[in-house]
Amino acid sequence: MSDDIRSLSETLAADPSSVVFVQLGEALRRSGQVELAWRVATRGLDRHAQRADAHDLVARIAIDRGDFARARAEWEAVLTLSPGHGGAQKGLGFLSFQQGDMEEAARYLGAALVADPTDESLATALDTVRAAQPDRRPIEEGPTEPAPVVDARTLFNEVLGGAGEAAMLLDSDGYVVAGQYRTEDGRDVAADVGAQLSGVSDEAGRAMRHLGLGRWRQIVFEADTASVAMAPSTGGVLLVAAPRTVPLGYVRRLLERSLERATRSLGRRA
Amino acid sequence: MTSPFSALLSALIRHRGVTGCMVVGEADGKIIDSSLQIGVKGDAFAALTASLYRKARRAAAAAGFGATGFFELDADGGRVCAAGRNDLVIVVVAEARANVGLLRVEMLKALESFA
Repeated sequence: MSDDIRSLSETLAADPSSVVFVQLGEALRRSGQVELAWRVATRGLDRHAQRADAHDLVARIAIDRGDFARARAEWEAVLTLSPGHGGAQKGLGFLSFQQGDMEEAARYLGAALVADPTDESLATALDTVRAAQPDRRPIEEGPTEPAPVVDARTLFNEVLGGAGEAAMLLDSDGYVVAGQYRTEDGRDVAADVGAQLSGVSDEAGRAMRHLGLGRWRQIVFEADTASVAMAPSTGGVLLVAAPRTVPLGYVRRLLERSLERATRSLGRRA
Repeated sequence: MTSPFSALLSALIRHRGVTGCMVVGEADGKIIDSSLQIGVKGDAFAALTASLYRKARRAAAAAGFGATGFFELDADGGRVCAAGRNDLVIVVVAEARANVGLLRVEMLKALESFA
């Protein structure tokens, strides 16, 4: 248990009505203790139902748990309590994107970008969504050759070859910007896998600050059923996974080719 | 004084570009045995690499990929490799010119003795 989590837990134990549950829930979520974070957040929300940040926290943990309906409901509650809340607009934008509703995704992401113009991940995501909506580009861009229709979920298909290979571009919050991860039964679990693995890049960033090795460029690891490679990309992290039978050197090549693909397609603002 | 890991560490440190190698506790990040060139911050590499390896292992398990074996991080200023089993992690710090393929084979072979 980190010192922060211990200290916040003690504060909450001493005063269960404290709003420190928001920080504690977020710290637990970031440390990967999702179910504990969920209990802390939902109990806190019971006591503080009028706090937008409590609903926002519950929404983000709901995403980590794969409960997208609850996440949407909570972020909508945030916007009721705090119209224009950037985090809720961003969350709803990515959620709409994940669920294929590009029009709503563009609306929410655009509003979030207005609230925080410095967030590169929002700009990248909005570019992706707009690329999937060629007919809805602003008129002032003028007549050009027809833009290729890009389904962000299939962005990396041209560089992926074999069965079981997957590539995902995640933003700095672990949301999927592009790509997908299909299981054998056809479900897209990119959001779940991305949420779990994006924490590794956060940890790498922290480690680099102390080791004097400069910036990290690539992480590769082998697990029982898959080899995973990841690298920083367009304000977030690009992640490639392949069955363990695929040689590790080839997985690295897939990562490099996927990075080129992401930069070519989305890197205009990166 | 020799430890059960002395032979392993002696073999790893002789590889081209390797500047340090350690056997580290995964849970606490503390060095159990090491062979380091002068100037390598063994304690920092041990603690942070063990933490990173632990994070990768847990994330891979949560993502349904099973147990993690070999791990490698490439940075502007060098590489760190790790491989673990039974709460022990072999950590290798190396320059970019190191032959990681060879290190990987040797580290995974050494893990078998940790069973």
